[in-house]
Amino acid sequence: MSERRLPWVIKYRPRRVEEVVGQDQAKKALREWLEEWLKGRVPSKRVALLYGPPGVGKTSLVEALARELNMEVLELNASDYRRRSDIERTVAVAAKKRPLFRRGLIILMDEVDGLDPKADEGGIEALMNVVKETLNPIIMTANDPWREHLRDLREYSLMVEFRELTNTQIIALLQRICESERLKCDKEALAYIAERSMGDARAAVNDLQTIAEGYREVTLDLARTIVKGREKTLNIWRTLSGVFYAKQAWMAKRAVTQSEEDYETLIAWLNDNIPKKYGDPQDLYRAYESLARATIFLNRSKAGEWGLLSYVFDLIGPGVAFARVSGKILEARYGFPERIRLMSQLKARRELREKLAEHLARRLLTSKRTVKNEVIPVLTVIFRNETDPTMAARLALGYRLDKDMIEYLAGPRTNDVLKAVEKIRKAKPEEIEHKKAKEEKTRKKESKGLDRYI
Amino acid sequence: MSVAEILWVEKYRPRSLDEIVNQTEVVMRLKQLVKERNMPHLLFSGPPGTGKTTAAHALAHDLYGENYRQYMLELNASDERGINVIREKVKEFARSRAPEGVPFKIVLLDEADNMTGDAQQALRRLMELYSGSTRFILVANYPSKIIDPIQSRCAFLRFVPLKKDDIVERLRFISEAEGVKYEYEALDAIYEISEGDMRKAINVLQAAASLGKITVDAVFRVVGMARPREVRDMIKLALSGKFMEARELARRLMIDYGLSGEDIVKQIHREIFSQELNIPEEYRVLIADYVGEIHYRLVEGSDDDIQLSALIAWLSLLGKRVS
Repeated sequence: MSERRLPWVIKYRPRRVEEVVGQDQAKKALREWLEEWLKGRVPSKRVALLYGPPGVGKTSLVEALARELNMEVLELNASDYRRRSDIERTVAVAAKKRPLFRRGLIILMDEVDGLDPKADEGGIEALMNVVKETLNPIIMTANDPWREHLRDLREYSLMVEFRELTNTQIIALLQRICESERLKCDKEALAYIAERSMGDARAAVNDLQTIAEGYREVTLDLARTIVKGREKTLNIWRTLSGVFYAKQAWMAKRAVTQSEEDYETLIAWLNDNIPKKYGDPQDLYRAYESLARATIFLNRSKAGEWGLLSYVFDLIGPGVAFARVSGKILEARYGFPERIRLMSQLKARRELREKLAEHLARRLLTSKRTVKNEVIPVLTVIFRNETDPTMAARLALGYRLDKDMIEYLAGPRTNDVLKAVEKIRKAKPEEIEHKKAKEEKTRKKESKGLDRYI
Repeated sequence: MSVAEILWVEKYRPRSLDEIVNQTEVVMRLKQLVKERNMPHLLFSGPPGTGKTTAAHALAHDLYGENYRQYMLELNASDERGINVIREKVKEFARSRAPEGVPFKIVLLDEADNMTGDAQQALRRLMELYSGSTRFILVANYPSKIIDPIQSRCAFLRFVPLKKDDIVERLRFISEAEGVKYEYEALDAIYEISEGDMRKAINVLQAAASLGKITVDAVFRVVGMARPREVRDMIKLALSGKFMEARELARRLMIDYGLSGEDIVKQIHREIFSQELNIPEEYRVLIADYVGEIHYRLVEGSDDDIQLSALIAWLSLLGKRVS
């Protein structure tokens, strides 16, 4: 393979720690931790979990440090080795190995957030066993370390945060490459590429190479034409951070428009995460008012005015971001929306209520609305009363309420009412049958009458 | 005693005009119509729970006998308020010929004041076109919401608010017929709560009876239970800045009681002016203003959970300003 065809992300991968862009805190923490191992002591945390967005130097730093400290790296891609047996065959064996030629052995597992707690059953448990007993340092990387199935692992890990790179840092990196490749690069073009990469050095270097290989020069026009097509989508965590930590309005808007989630999902996530991030009542109210207005615009869009969708994004992105006037933001982790679970429960309850109202409205000669507002509350009292379920049971029989309806009305008292219904049924079956037949007869007569004239 | 039971509002509803003890003037006129076996279009107006719908059914019963419902189309405009119902259901029914032995069919439009303007215009045409074979009875709380051309085509029957004696006497009658023990003061209390609405009064009576003896205490317990306390608790939590807890309660109200966002907003509205809420008077108005805004958004079809969250956040903010 010729030198020129080698991907630049590999060609320019940092050799020495100081070549890794930024991440000073991570460098210091990881170096100290590895040196501890090299001194023959086992640190209290035997795993280091490096987390942060893609392309910020997590793997590069491990490789550079290993080189400087003269350690061997055994790289395992967690997306290949997932199940219990895989983990035991690979990681568990490596954990007990003595390094052959160097001072130490680092076990590097990439993308542990890619482990699927369901599909890879036993994988996490097997990993936990290794983690507690390993004789070699284990380093893991993850984009999103807050996933539920990583909770136990986090407790045993030294957490090392990697931050998104700044535009200036990325521009400097691109410039070094341009010089080394003897390329003519416009400063604006590099700024544009850096901007679009959203803190991802790997993406920026790839973009630079794409333009340079095609045209031998890098201008703003070329950058605009070529890079634009590669719209990056944001996962939900980055979307949320993009909104809550936006410094300018367009950043927040970009976070929501480039999210891989649709607007309804985003609204649900924001709905449950706003109170986690905003503690000041003023901020909270402004953020919710913005979200609430967004749902109004969403309704109007759905009525056919799709041009209004843009305002939805304005309100859920910048609207939520700049609701924060206190300047304070809470350091809480993002949580999954309760709402999805909630909505399905609500829907079922509401349908049942509607069914019950319809069922009773005709008998009571009134509207469903009156039944819902006046009759159901009274029935609820009767069905939930603690002294005696007899009246409830008799009403259940009188209106032929089914089990779901009884449960709706009786709540925690459901079993008592159902038992009472059974008792009456057994005691006087003939009377109930008789009543049923009579009702059936009138109903038939009425509907027959109507059929004739409608 | 029969094993299966029905709600006392249904059980003790007068079936025939003879059984209606109050609304003397209206009943007299209706009986006259039965005698003549003819009637104009009718418009019944009056407060809720004063016997309008009952009287319409009793009238039809006396005209056609036990199976009167086969000659009658019953619609409730608060459930089906649009023009399509009028164009489809009502028109289909009205244009068919009156069955043999019966002078005309009846369309009963309950809560007709909830009809949209369009629907009323369409109805007006039908009333003219098919008056030969079909008569309309419109029932409304607020007759002023019925357009003039319809009003002018109808004979107007006004139902008067029920007097305290009417209601208490009826409650006493039912209690004795059911063999439940009661305190007189409890029946008075029910009257106060019912605001002259017989349906509400009888429902409360039955719920109180299900707790044992009908006492003043039982009556208030029923009213308290039927109007969940959680709404007040939710407001208090919100005002003390506990957003998350308050919202959790709101969500529980929606799930456990099956309330809609609109129901909750209405109940919040009722609580705003209660003296149990210790807030400066001018804030009550501020809250009402925003509650009204949220109510409007919900009516328009906006999202329950998010609008309520906004409302709770607003209450938290006000609460902070007060303290």
